[in-house]
Amino acid sequence: MRSTTWWLARRLALAVLVVVGAATVAFGALQLVPGDPVHVMMGGAAPSEEVYERTRHELGYDQPLPVRYGEFLGQLLRGDLGQSYQLHQPVADVIGSQLWPTVQLALAAFGLAFVVAAALAVTTAGRRSGWRRVASAAELLMISTPGFWVGVLLLTFFSFRLHLFPVAGGDSLAGLVLPAATLAIGLIGVFAQVMREGLERALEQPFVLSARARGTGETAVRLRHALRHALIPMVTLSGWIVGSLLGGAVLIETIFSREGLGRITATAIAGRDLPLVTGVAVVAATIFALLNIAVDLLYRVIDPRMKEVVR
Amino acid sequence: MNIRIQGGGRHARAIRRTSTVLAALALTSVTAVACGSDDSSDTPAAASATPVAGGKLTYATVQEPSCIDPGYDPSTVTGVIDRNIFDSLVSQTATGETKPWLATSWTVSPDGKTYRFSLRDGVTFHDGTAFDGAAVKATFDHAVDPETKSLYAAALLSAYQETRVIDPRTIEVVLTRPNASFLQSVGSPFLGIQSPASLERSAEELCTKPVGSGAFTFVSWTKNRDLVLAKNPAYQWAPDAADHDGPAYLDGITFQFISDDTARFGALTSGQVNVINNVPAANIRALKANGSLQYLRADSPGLAYSLILNTGREPLSDVRVRRALLRSVNLDALVESVYFGEYNRAWSLLSPTTIGYDKSLEGTWKFDAALANKLLDEAGWTQRDGDGFRTKDGKRLTIVWRTGAQLDRDGRGVVAQGVQADAKKVGIDLQYISEDVGTFSQHIFAGDLDIWGGNYQRPDGDILRFAFASDQGITKGGGNLFGLQDPTLDRLLNEASTTTDEAVREKNWADAQQYVIDNALAVPLTVGANLVGASNKVQGLRFEQSSNLTFFDTWLDPTK
Amino acid sequence: MAGVARRSAGRGRRRIGPGVAVSALLVALIALAALWPGLLARADPNAAEPVDALLGPSGAHWFGTDQLGRDVYSRVVHGARVSLFIGVGATGIALLLGCLIGMLAATCGRLVDEILMRITDVLLSFPGLLLALLVVAMLGPSSTNATIAIGLSSAPGFARLVRGEALAIREAGYVRTAVTFGAGRARVYLRHLLPNALTPLLVLALLSVGAAIIAGSSLSYLGLGPRVPTAEWGSMLAQGKDFLTISWAMAVFPGLAITVTVIAINIVGRDLQRRFEGRHPVGRF
Repeated sequence: MRSTTWWLARRLALAVLVVVGAATVAFGALQLVPGDPVHVMMGGAAPSEEVYERTRHELGYDQPLPVRYGEFLGQLLRGDLGQSYQLHQPVADVIGSQLWPTVQLALAAFGLAFVVAAALAVTTAGRRSGWRRVASAAELLMISTPGFWVGVLLLTFFSFRLHLFPVAGGDSLAGLVLPAATLAIGLIGVFAQVMREGLERALEQPFVLSARARGTGETAVRLRHALRHALIPMVTLSGWIVGSLLGGAVLIETIFSREGLGRITATAIAGRDLPLVTGVAVVAATIFALLNIAVDLLYRVIDPRMKEVVR
Repeated sequence: MNIRIQGGGRHARAIRRTSTVLAALALTSVTAVACGSDDSSDTPAAASATPVAGGKLTYATVQEPSCIDPGYDPSTVTGVIDRNIFDSLVSQTATGETKPWLATSWTVSPDGKTYRFSLRDGVTFHDGTAFDGAAVKATFDHAVDPETKSLYAAALLSAYQETRVIDPRTIEVVLTRPNASFLQSVGSPFLGIQSPASLERSAEELCTKPVGSGAFTFVSWTKNRDLVLAKNPAYQWAPDAADHDGPAYLDGITFQFISDDTARFGALTSGQVNVINNVPAANIRALKANGSLQYLRADSPGLAYSLILNTGREPLSDVRVRRALLRSVNLDALVESVYFGEYNRAWSLLSPTTIGYDKSLEGTWKFDAALANKLLDEAGWTQRDGDGFRTKDGKRLTIVWRTGAQLDRDGRGVVAQGVQADAKKVGIDLQYISEDVGTFSQHIFAGDLDIWGGNYQRPDGDILRFAFASDQGITKGGGNLFGLQDPTLDRLLNEASTTTDEAVREKNWADAQQYVIDNALAVPLTVGANLVGASNKVQGLRFEQSSNLTFFDTWLDPTK
Repeated sequence: MAGVARRSAGRGRRRIGPGVAVSALLVALIALAALWPGLLARADPNAAEPVDALLGPSGAHWFGTDQLGRDVYSRVVHGARVSLFIGVGATGIALLLGCLIGMLAATCGRLVDEILMRITDVLLSFPGLLLALLVVAMLGPSSTNATIAIGLSSAPGFARLVRGEALAIREAGYVRTAVTFGAGRARVYLRHLLPNALTPLLVLALLSVGAAIIAGSSLSYLGLGPRVPTAEWGSMLAQGKDFLTISWAMAVFPGLAITVTVIAINIVGRDLQRRFEGRHPVGRF
């Protein structure tokens, strides 16, 4: 138990480093972006000399870079994400208000992709049927088609033509369907393949044989026994999944005019909104780091031999 | 995406807003096109039915503001939203007359520097504070306070010295110099009167939770989604310029921010929203053909969308090259194909609805590729390189046109590619570079470009002075980006701005437009317009002079 | 990025199926379009003829015309160059950086390993597209910069993989033997470790070309791709979608071009993968 505590403490310390590192990368990248940040921030308006200087001073751009970085780090370690340049609100509030729509979208997409992929995997694993060919072709198509293209097509048919779903945003459930489906389509192919392989390996295991010997039906074997084991590789994928969901959110939220973290980040990057960009970087890095710890912890629980591998 | 830049460079934006204020006469041509072939009444707004109160209106707009403190933010959409929340001292009719609003009457001192306003009684702000002279003083002082870092309102009050509260119902605004457009400025939403109690709050609160005395109160604003206003039932101080008294007809207005053209139009046709702006030109035929929708448009006054040429460096320092460029573009075909006839090609730098527009320019510089080729030959660009571009002394005839990525909207990027393709046909290598705003502003300040493309919304020809007079350099906050020093233009434009003789002014503006084309200082491209689509339910939708929409007289017809 | 190991018994020589053959042909065709577009499409992709705007497919314009009257077929053919450039270039950058970091981490001791892995952690903690957006903001929009951006954002995944691969091989018998027989460390790494780690990597790289093409077109779609009027599938699709109801061809053909290209690359890649019993690729986008 002691070793696990130590392990956890070490991992948490490393996680803090990663988070600070991510914030530093974002901070550094925005320093290298060309153009006067004050002009960009004012969105192309013509400030008088006085307003310009005052803004510059308030944002600290009259200070040398190391001083600004020091202040930035100090603020960050105190848990203060600062004030958004463009939205004139605390970054924590902005992220707080935009996080939920993105989480909603991500969860819905994940859930959808998971269910569809599991269905595909369960019905096709270890079988060489026509259905498997169709499923494989569909998976390949889904992996190979860009999300924005899928989104545009879904929007055109289901919203513009058939008026089945609202065209833009809204927090209604109906408004979530198309964006979540678009985001899910990008994941289904990968999920299905991973699950199918896991399933095929599980089906070769002795416990499946004994279940079959006890007379359990094939479907029941697959659903009750094998699927559970097939899901383990999915845990390995979790980091990739979160990245895909958050990255995909940028495109999906833009196409479907949804509010959310992805879109606000894209806008913030374009508008040199340094505090907001670093704030999002901090949030994303925190999620990623905690997730990794959770996954490795899970491995340690599942299989003690993994301790060596996941130092 | 939040589109934060209007015209180009850092100046464009402030200028565009000036339109709402400086409008002296209404020249905004408003046409409403009824949909459905059997409908004979051509102005949906003027339908015979009696207005009915009730219902909420949803307006999908392409832009989202970053801050809705009218004293701070300069964007058009902030003006449109704030017009509903804030009342001004005076109002303006569609014909540009100034009428009472929160001020019941006013007098101007003989020297033109002191305005004395009598204020309306019984007006209360949304937070319950009573409106009086102190509120006016607080609002104006807030706008000019350096702490506010105003990007526009302070410019409207550029001659402002102080506000004296004589008594709660009387104030005097003292200016440092006479300013003929002061009353128009005061009527702008950007100088809408704010609750003095609310002005005590932080800049963040002012940006996100405005408190005025207007017909609608602020309810909520969800970034990247919508901004919600609700009817102010206590409203009894409608502007004299409005069609009706008492509270607004609508129970509320929701501004939805849908920047994607296709999605915005889809939101209208699927009935998700009642009104949209910036209807994509490609969709207007479908809009007109749709019996349950109406199409309204208002041409925008000011500087037409034009290319301003940098005469300060090679190769556009040669007037023959500039003329060749002007004549090389087949504008009629290009504008027709990109905008389906909904935008007009421009013949002058000023759009036809601008005071001082010179109609005689129309048809004077038609597309003529042969002439363009001849001019370029004369200018010595006679050799051709492997890609078919002209060269002189081994140097390719390259012209660099830079723009900010966010400016590439309303099909402008497509127009640019058309201009580019036409220029190539006469051997000009026109490079259209869309870059991020930071890089773009850097290039503007360094003068490292041959072409700047943009437009300014403004009511009269004085915009020419802003764009070309030698004292309007970019470092002085002007629009003369390339530091042009032309004595002829200086004389014409400065005289026009100071003279009291209307005839002289008109003549000078006409001469200046002629001069710009004769010397090919610019290539006018298209005349801007506010293209609005609305459901047939929506009645009483009005354009301001600036071509912005107002909603006070708007109502929803429950029978449709 | 996570690779899912799949190690089954060798399947012997496999015949080339018809799907794979067609895909390989398609990939060759697309490569041809990228190298010598003039062979496949004679019309100038940038020649505007506004009178012919938004025409449907016809004998003169196989894929119709766009809103400036440019030939969509010609633009699709010429667009192959940018897309393949981004796909191959970004993968190359990712592979190179990944190999460098991964090998260093695997062979230079624990401290270096720890530092490098934490750096990759930091980069991995950015969702791929956001990292690419940040890089493009820094460098400015162009096809080269989009390539660099995508390459950088996929490099950490490769680094991890190379490290894992190298660690596994280091323990393999033949490497130990080589070291026992006195071969120099650097020599062993170069002669044994790298080549053995490389085979599965190259297959993975081919598969991630597809992912990079999609990522590149996504950046273009967001307006961060090559400069106009350069024909590029993502930006053509972005423009075309506004005209879907008027002229479907303008968006559909560039969209198909992306999908078909990526499918063909994936089919060929998977076939090679089965032959080499490599790993399943999972792109970051």
